[in-house]
Amino acid sequence: MKPGRKKQNPYLIAGMAMTGSAAGLGLLGAFWTPFGTTAMSAAERFQAPSLRHLFGTDNFGRDLFSRVMQGMGTTICISLLVVLFSAFFGILLGALTGYFGGVFDEAVMRVIDAVNGFPSILLALVMISLLGNGRQNLILSLGIVFTPSYVRIVRSEYVKLRDADYIMRARLMGVGKLRILFVHILPNVLPVLGVSLVIGLNNAILAESGMSYLGIGVQPPDASLGNMLSDAQGFLQSAPWYALIPGLAIVWIVLGFSLFGEGLRRLGE
Amino acid sequence: MIRVENLSVAFDGPEVVKNVTLEFHDGEILGVVGESGSGKSVTALTLMGLVADNARVTSGRILFDGQVLLEAGKPRDRGLYRRYQGEKMSMVFQEPMTSLNPTQRVGLQVDEVLRLHTSLSPRERKEKVLESFRAAGLSEEERIYASYPHQLSGGMRQRVMIAMAVILHPRLIVADEPTTALDVTVQNQIIRLLKSINEKENNAMLFITHDLNLAKRICGRIAVMKDGCVVEQGTAEQIFLHPRQEYTRRLIQAVPGRVKKNRSLEERREPGESLGEPVAEVRNLSVYYRESGNSLFDRKKHRCVVQNADFEIRQGESLGLVGESGCGKTSLAKAILGMNRDVEGKILHHTLRPQMIFQDPYSSLNPAGTVGWLLMEPLRAQSAREGARPMTKEDMKEAAYQMLRRVGLEDSYFHRKPSQLSGGQRQRVSIAQALITKPGLIVADEPLSALDVTIQAQIMELMQGLQQELGLSYLFISHDINVVYRMCDRIMVMRQGKIIEIGDTEEVFREPREEYTRQLLAES
Repeated sequence: MKPGRKKQNPYLIAGMAMTGSAAGLGLLGAFWTPFGTTAMSAAERFQAPSLRHLFGTDNFGRDLFSRVMQGMGTTICISLLVVLFSAFFGILLGALTGYFGGVFDEAVMRVIDAVNGFPSILLALVMISLLGNGRQNLILSLGIVFTPSYVRIVRSEYVKLRDADYIMRARLMGVGKLRILFVHILPNVLPVLGVSLVIGLNNAILAESGMSYLGIGVQPPDASLGNMLSDAQGFLQSAPWYALIPGLAIVWIVLGFSLFGEGLRRLGE
Repeated sequence: MIRVENLSVAFDGPEVVKNVTLEFHDGEILGVVGESGSGKSVTALTLMGLVADNARVTSGRILFDGQVLLEAGKPRDRGLYRRYQGEKMSMVFQEPMTSLNPTQRVGLQVDEVLRLHTSLSPRERKEKVLESFRAAGLSEEERIYASYPHQLSGGMRQRVMIAMAVILHPRLIVADEPTTALDVTVQNQIIRLLKSINEKENNAMLFITHDLNLAKRICGRIAVMKDGCVVEQGTAEQIFLHPRQEYTRRLIQAVPGRVKKNRSLEERREPGESLGEPVAEVRNLSVYYRESGNSLFDRKKHRCVVQNADFEIRQGESLGLVGESGCGKTSLAKAILGMNRDVEGKILHHTLRPQMIFQDPYSSLNPAGTVGWLLMEPLRAQSAREGARPMTKEDMKEAAYQMLRRVGLEDSYFHRKPSQLSGGQRQRVSIAQALITKPGLIVADEPLSALDVTIQAQIMELMQGLQQELGLSYLFISHDINVVYRMCDRIMVMRQGKIIEIGDTEEVFREPREEYTRQLLAES
């Protein structure tokens, strides 16, 4: 690379554009949509995409563009909360187990092994059936299911860094344990964690859509990309756009975050 | 005849080797000396045809007995090179651990050279491998033949590498820092071995090193490289006695010979008169090493790494600690710093808690912080601990800037990150970080080993200056006897966990009491 010339990072730009547009539409959808997300119109059922209804309408005559806006907002928001939840506990547990080791480490890691022993979606399903439907429970159960992978990533970094010269030195200066954990070590873990957070966001989006598709996530009449897909499956032949549009929206967001993650990774190199 | 003519090599950017001309004669060792980044390794790798694919030869050529091996503007002929590599020229690398395959017995790895280049039968090959092991000074050659690299010591691994390099009796052997990763005593054996091989085989040898002292001992001719250019070339005598270039002169001066620079401290005290009050007393200290098991239920093993150490460090003195790696130097240092609690005996500190300067300036500074943050962090920790009279942020900043200037760095470095600094600059920051809380005692664990010679001299000067200015005491750990001689007032020799000799540097150097000490001194 020649000095002075900036490295092109098309991944980051494309990823930011795609996720940015989705998040922007979703955010806007929380306050304003062209037709309202629940406004039905018997006269306009099953309309194909047109200038009036950009994405067409569904079996109740609801505007799909409005619903996709809301659905994207819901999906992104839930996934973000899931990732934040699991990242928070992942960092906390990973830091404590990795740095201190010992019995606590063994105990936590065996619990995590146990959690990992079940298919994650199945485990989330069981938890929701115990806790009951609803957004909070969805976030909680997906968050718990996603936590172990972050604990592992963070823990392995802490194990590596706890014996680094500069950490030994911080101990020698008499820096407090908490400060070593979260001020001295954590910034050096973040680059590794950042990429996996973005990948985790993708998994969370897919998981949320899956759960809502199965009817145990976001409840109607609220729109989520998953439950829209589920509603649409009876009309695949008569109104193909009805299923296609929420499906493409999921692809758009996931692809966007994948590119964003790749872009971040390259930026770090 | 083997010649490198006007060779220039560039990677994606500017040329890293510029117009280098070297000539190799049979039975002569040519030394290429220079600091890191001077292009000496790239020259050697290009000569060997091992340089990375993105390297371009922009001018010159390489001649090997009339055959043009490489010429500017023409792509590297891999087939041609393959015939020369191993058979007519071979290489010994710096790190014998990484240049041997850890999953294969070393005998088979040497055998592979023969399998590729000769048509000998397996039995003849084995006989030849054992013979070359003997030639490389390895006894018990059968056992070594069947050993894996991790079962051998560093010196033995390097001997295996040398056996591998000489087995086909090549015309040219390139040795790239072959002793840098080894202990002093082993270093000398390897040097002697290379020299005797050179005499016996009457081949040409290229010896690359950053250590002028080594070059002086082994090389017939020396080329000094700087920034990709050969600045001076001549016989070893010419270079050392009549250096023509300013840079060569600087390099030679930077080499810590047996000259005492630290005069002022000597003048301060009469010989025999004791120094100031002790800042730290170590009384009958034994340090244990606990090999931690992988599982929760493993029995932990106890091993004694330092036995009954008993000494004190006095106000304003530098106490040198020498010994081979693995003799317990670092364990002792860590115990004194209070970082190893698995000890018996007593350590008394009479000043603030001691701080440490590490060997590797690349791993001892937190890469996430700026220089300013790194310097303020010890102060923050200190005021958090004391609590009574916390320093304000402005005070800390001011102290950090002052310390920065004191170690010879400009204010603008305050906002830089360690990754933007050179090795020497990092070591300066490292020193500043250790000194900012004004501890009375600094433990310096090989603080110069990772640095270039000219930088070494600067850091040594800085450490001595700070010592006089602040009345510091150093516990100075090093494997380099010459550095210790120059830096230290007293010297302590350790062997296999025991302190076998302790005394005034001059006395120990003049008349060492122990045989082992004599050996250490003789070999450097």
